[in-house]
Amino acid sequence: MASGKKEVLYALYNDETELFSAIRAAKKAHLDIMDVFTPFPVHGLDDLLDLEESRLHIVGFIFGALGTLTAFLGMSWIFTRDWPIIFGGKPYWSVPAFIPITFELTVLFCAIGMVVSFYTVCGLGPGVSNEVLDDRITDDKFCLAFETNGKSSAEIDDLKGFLSGTAPAEVHSKTLS
Amino acid sequence: MNNQFVFEGRMKTLYMVMMAVGVVCLVMTYFMDTQPFHVRFWSNFLHNSVFFTGIAFMAMFALSAFITAWAGWFSVIKRIFEAYSLFMLVGLVLMTIITLGMWLHWHHLYHWADASTLDPTSPNYDEILVGKSAFLNPVWYTVGGLGFLAVWYLFARRVRSLSLAEDNDDTGLDYTYHKKMRVATAGFLPFAGFTACAVVWLWVMSVDSHWYSTLFAWHNMVSWFVSFLAFTILTIIYLKGKGYLENVTAEHLHDLGKYMFAFSIFWTYMWFSQYMLIWYANVGEETIYFRHRLDNYAVLFYGNLIINFVLPFLILMRNSTKRKYGTLIFMSIVLIFGHWIDFFLMLKPGTLQTAQHAAHPGGGHHEGALGFVSGFTMPGFLELGTGIGFLGLFLYVFFHHLSSAALQPKHDPYMMESVTHHT
Repeated sequence: MASGKKEVLYALYNDETELFSAIRAAKKAHLDIMDVFTPFPVHGLDDLLDLEESRLHIVGFIFGALGTLTAFLGMSWIFTRDWPIIFGGKPYWSVPAFIPITFELTVLFCAIGMVVSFYTVCGLGPGVSNEVLDDRITDDKFCLAFETNGKSSAEIDDLKGFLSGTAPAEVHSKTLS
Repeated sequence: MNNQFVFEGRMKTLYMVMMAVGVVCLVMTYFMDTQPFHVRFWSNFLHNSVFFTGIAFMAMFALSAFITAWAGWFSVIKRIFEAYSLFMLVGLVLMTIITLGMWLHWHHLYHWADASTLDPTSPNYDEILVGKSAFLNPVWYTVGGLGFLAVWYLFARRVRSLSLAEDNDDTGLDYTYHKKMRVATAGFLPFAGFTACAVVWLWVMSVDSHWYSTLFAWHNMVSWFVSFLAFTILTIIYLKGKGYLENVTAEHLHDLGKYMFAFSIFWTYMWFSQYMLIWYANVGEETIYFRHRLDNYAVLFYGNLIINFVLPFLILMRNSTKRKYGTLIFMSIVLIFGHWIDFFLMLKPGTLQTAQHAAHPGGGHHEGALGFVSGFTMPGFLELGTGIGFLGLFLYVFFHHLSSAALQPKHDPYMMESVTHHT
């Protein structure tokens, strides 16, 4: 983050129904939600937060197509130009025999390409440590977070008042570096 | 909520007209046939009977698989599955005509049904068919084809009547109907799984009486299943356009679209596995099946792959195309036609060869180029007209059954899960 430190006020909920009603209330009050963290993918959350559709599948398609071309053109070159071998009396350029490997490389390229792209975009990877708001959001708590940078203490109190009105299990604030 | 489908007179007339077109085309085919044994007429009849009966069977199979798997999402569209499955009764009548024709020698669709192939003194004597005669004989065709189909229909009727009885239970808390349904469907699945293979061998694969393939029955069933999914999607969109099925959302269509996408890929997997193993092993008595199709039916052969694999693969891959009416309608129509063509390609070459061979006994097999044979090399207007006729019959029976019960089951235990379904 360019601004350096990030002050966050967040509420923890015990289940997703409470989280959902809190998000609906926040939207109704026109509050800017920073992010929502859940221990598992929750159905309907993307719609509720008006998130735009992920573009990861386009990356997947491009990598897949790259795999298809690599495998097919690669084998075509190897078996007709580089090192032609006759297998079982079949022609050098035996398309049906190439299909399974073409399929496999398509899947491989697609899968690895998507994982690497996803990690890059999310700033994840080996040796990277990201600060976590609360360890329990990977376990059993559902978190609704607001950024409070540049907000007056009266505004923060308002926000706290709003959060305590949504029946949270806990409300905390934290500064992320 | 408008929960009772009304089968309007206007639609009845439309389907009647379609059936009339079909009958006219069948009669014209019978008299215009240039090939021996009226094989164009009979192969058209067999092609459409098998295609639509199979779709009804797959409706029952999918219904059973979903109920057995505790699936909740499809409860709002369960009545569509039930109504399609009941077409099996009409299928039984259609296949009875084919079977009667075999006993009474009306047609010559199956080479093995010709008794002279088993007679050592006849010039038609065929050792391979003698080896297969324990299974490929008219008795098995009758018992297997009609008997198994009748049992499937009885299962479908049982599930339907339990489902209707559940509707009439006013407490809505009696789950014994659902339990009984689970028992019936769990019994149907293994029975249908094994018997359907035998039925496909008898009805479809044995038109190429010397040839066999282990994957063939699965390939057929997936073809039926994709067609069934396409019909279901079209029905839902049609009914929603009429103001019915308000609890069916884009989420349900999305799941059906995913099924249609996935099973199109699975169809290709079956098709290609069958092709590649035969190509690789290169055994003459197996490769002849594909050689014959590549030499004489190349357009359909490759067109089949493009329509049933390339198009759904590229079009249905995206998330949004499985949720929009336009792409779903387009893809469903294309796939119904594509799998109709798939069955065409499985039945027509074999039946034509059988008829020509039987018309010239002892003349040996006619391999190599056939030239253009109308109604075989490519579906003509008569084939399309016959297909439209059977389609009219199929939809008439379907909508008749759909209108005889509430569109959304009233007390299905999974209804809440289905209404709030989210993909």
